Amino acid sequence: MNTIDPSVPGRFSRRGFLGLGAAVGGGMLLSACGGGSASGGGSLKFWDMPWGQSNYTAAAKKLTEGYRPAGDLPRATYQGIQWANFSQTFSSAIASKTGPAVSTGGGFQAFQFAEQGAIAYADGVINQFRQDGTADDFLPGQLDAMKTANGYAAVPWQLDFRVWWYRKSLLDAAGVKVPATWDELLTACRTLSGRGLFGFGTGAGAGNNLGSQGLHLMMLNNGGGLFDPDGKVDVVTEANLEAMRFVQELVRAKAVDPASISYTTDNLITQWKNKKVAMGIHTAGLDTDTGETDGDLRVMGPLTGPGGAKAGLVFQNNIMMYANTPSQEGSEAFLSYYIRNMKTFWQQNVVAGLPVLKSIVALPEFQAQQQKAKIIAEWAPVARTFAANSKSLFGGLASVDSSQPITQFAQTVLAGKDPRPALTTLQQALEAIVK
Amino acid sequence: MTVTSERDTLRRGASPLSEISRTRKSRRARRTLLLLVAPSLVLLLLINAYPLVYAALQSVRDGTLINAGEYVGLENYRATLTSPAFWRAVEFTLIFTVVGVFGSWLGGLGLALLLRTRIPGRTVFKTLLLLPWVVPVVVSSTAWNWLVATPQSPLPSLAEALGFGTPLFLADPTLAKITVCVFKVWISVPFMMMLIGAALAGVDHTVYEAAGVDGATKWQQFRHITLPMISRSTYISWILMTIFCVNDFPTIFLLTGGGPVDATTSLVVLSYRTVFQNFQVGPGVAIAFLMTVSLVVVSVALYRQIRKAHV
Repeated sequence: MNTIDPSVPGRFSRRGFLGLGAAVGGGMLLSACGGGSASGGGSLKFWDMPWGQSNYTAAAKKLTEGYRPAGDLPRATYQGIQWANFSQTFSSAIASKTGPAVSTGGGFQAFQFAEQGAIAYADGVINQFRQDGTADDFLPGQLDAMKTANGYAAVPWQLDFRVWWYRKSLLDAAGVKVPATWDELLTACRTLSGRGLFGFGTGAGAGNNLGSQGLHLMMLNNGGGLFDPDGKVDVVTEANLEAMRFVQELVRAKAVDPASISYTTDNLITQWKNKKVAMGIHTAGLDTDTGETDGDLRVMGPLTGPGGAKAGLVFQNNIMMYANTPSQEGSEAFLSYYIRNMKTFWQQNVVAGLPVLKSIVALPEFQAQQQKAKIIAEWAPVARTFAANSKSLFGGLASVDSSQPITQFAQTVLAGKDPRPALTTLQQALEAIVK
Repeated sequence: MTVTSERDTLRRGASPLSEISRTRKSRRARRTLLLLVAPSLVLLLLINAYPLVYAALQSVRDGTLINAGEYVGLENYRATLTSPAFWRAVEFTLIFTVVGVFGSWLGGLGLALLLRTRIPGRTVFKTLLLLPWVVPVVVSSTAWNWLVATPQSPLPSLAEALGFGTPLFLADPTLAKITVCVFKVWISVPFMMMLIGAALAGVDHTVYEAAGVDGATKWQQFRHITLPMISRSTYISWILMTIFCVNDFPTIFLLTGGGPVDATTSLVVLSYRTVFQNFQVGPGVAIAFLMTVSLVVVSVALYRQIRKAHV
């Protein structure tokens, strides 16, 4: 029995019901398809990666919220972004015009997005820095590294090095002096492997790029690199081949843990903690990652390669501005404020990266961190970028760093396979993805 | 006389006019129903079809994650189908799926049969056995990594103590494949156990009693009663597990990242790495499309088996 009285005026007709449904559905659709902007309720969205432990995020949020813009310029809101799938996070937000106005991010993200038209070049900020002298505070070459044919893609704010570390107690116990050349390194590795220790601590497992970056550092140390001066992929070179043959020699000398090709970063750190690794290439934060800042873990000086060259590998982490912003002037003002006040991170010792400003390097709080200070003093002057031997950074680097071909290459070489076919395969694979 | 035959008699005796009127009413009702579900259908189509169509367009373009890029025809498919990495991924996906589906099915069936018998603490066992399925993969993969990753980890240490040397469970390509497959089976057995357990509960016990009276052995009862009676659930579980295995990203990616040297790279991992690490959107989406088509074909084939299966 129908319990609805047809005489009741409020009853839905079939057409009325369908019309209402269509209206609701249409409304939802329109709202879903609507564009967005990088303003969050009249403010600039600043997206930041976790560059340290949880206390970093709190400090960065405080710094962002402490920004007091002049006049009508928008204030800034802080949003922490996780490293997991960060490329998707940024790309989907930019594509849907809901992305940030200003952000930190991957080292080559600014160059990648600049080539896709999503970046607002930082020339205005840099010019201002040149006028007020802030530009002179940057370590040599750091600002120029951000330069592209169309302008400055971003402003550098911290440096991420790959350097050689050693555990002093293990070297002392083995009677091994800290190596300064490749020959000394090989000799030290042979002595250490005789004691069941690894002299080339590395890892190339899930999410761990230290293996490929370590090999890259060895190439740079021998005058090689992944690119030619014009930015074209140039992997199969005599310099690279010689460097990889040296690594093969290290593998034969049992300096490389055979399981390391599957080591995650956590596995590798565990091996450092377990004192199975005596030497190895790592980030500047190995001592803090292992929780050992007592001085047993120490940074070596840059090794001298067979050709007499010294080199380090550095990633210039940067802050970028996006074309989709509620106020370009506001973005620039916030970025200037952030760079000028970021010393608080090093004063509080909450950031893993190394400073890009001389004034921060000179801080007593930073100089107290002896290993990091040593990296700036000894490694920064010889450090080369991931783009070497290209003169400048470019967007294609984002698809090389941590890519499938380079990981596969690292796993192949660290397993002791012949490096020539591995380099040839890498050359072909990188040519396909770097455009 | 049954209700149906009464209705048939009435229908046969109905006049042509009332028949026409009934047909019209039926058509109107159908139209009303269709109109009522139309908004939901439209929304569902938009939610599901839009990304699918967009992805299809991306697979024939040379775009980025932000820009659509240029139309390149079937070049991405050609490049994919001629890539050795793709065929290596196909091979591992097949191994992973076959081992994952049948390994977990055998394990689940065994446990479901075991738990059908009256054993003390059955409920506790059931709860404990569900844990691998319930625990997030991130947690269980971390636990497995701890078990096998380094030479000092518990399983390599045990193997060494037993005189098997120090197996590199994640660094040796063959062992890594085996480890990932075993991990998948371990995770999936509880799901299979639940599905098959539910199906077994529906089998009338008197059938076994009758078979026993006829002299059927336990094996014959299992072969000719149990398996046919749970065949529908079995096929459903195979379809679901095939989909789970082919689409499984975290199990592989968290444990091995697809390595060493691509040994455990499945199609879904390859697709992910191509799009989000190599930033080759077109080829990556083409891989995903080829994978989807294959999955649909397998699912339809298994679905046909369900229709043939016993109730």
